[in-house]
Amino acid sequence: MDAVVKRIVREVKRGNQEAFAELVELYKDKVYHIAYRMLGNAHEAQDVSQEAFLRAYTNIHSYDENRKFSTWIFRIATNLAIDRLRKKKPDFHLEDKVGGTENLDYYSQFASEEALPEEQVVKLEMQEWIQQEIMQLPPKYRSAVILKYLEDLSLKEISEILNLPVPTVKTRIHRGREALRKKLGDV
Amino acid sequence: MACSHEYYKLMHEYLDENMPLTEAKKFEAHMQECPACEQHLKELKKTVAIVQSASHFEAPEGLTREVMNQLPKQNQSQKWQN
Repeated sequence: MDAVVKRIVREVKRGNQEAFAELVELYKDKVYHIAYRMLGNAHEAQDVSQEAFLRAYTNIHSYDENRKFSTWIFRIATNLAIDRLRKKKPDFHLEDKVGGTENLDYYSQFASEEALPEEQVVKLEMQEWIQQEIMQLPPKYRSAVILKYLEDLSLKEISEILNLPVPTVKTRIHRGREALRKKLGDV
Repeated sequence: MACSHEYYKLMHEYLDENMPLTEAKKFEAHMQECPACEQHLKELKKTVAIVQSASHFEAPEGLTREVMNQLPKQNQSQKWQN
């Protein structure tokens, strides 16, 4: 994997723009997932993901090939998501209309057209609830918890992505975990 | 939590799997004796399991194409420089 990524990055650096599509393909799902979990909104997650890849392309010459590409692109995406959170109102509701759409509320981001069997409804409600509670976390805890438990990254990788010392990352995970326990722990 | 702050810190170290084995054994022994700590740990473990059960979303279709369409246009001389 790493060798493949290195090869693609070199192609892009040499001016082969088409090769960049391969990098996007490799990382788009993870980047989108992080953005979605940070922002809680499909439209904004897509925006931030695209912007992250555009920035990666523009700054590809500053990418250090000795480090993991995933760390670099996750860092760009996380920073963009945090910037966006700073700019928008502090909270939102699932009933809110998704920006730029006619009648799409946040529930429709999860729901599908057909009637769902009971079991799936419960699963869906559970998923909405998890995301709602993640969104209640302050962004600095939210990013640490997402990278640790949804992306399954090591403390060292998280510290590189967030540009924070490992002990600070640990503290943020601990606090995020405690805050979530109060909501999720007693069901 | 009824127990001391020390155990609260240890609990997170324990969950991070960061604890030397002998210390972990001691900690586990305490969990068996102290219902408040045991409950707290149980809730934390449950919380982690719930968060980990969150679905993974895939990028919307066409994201790669969107990105590629927005890349700065290259002129012929920039292509394939070696």
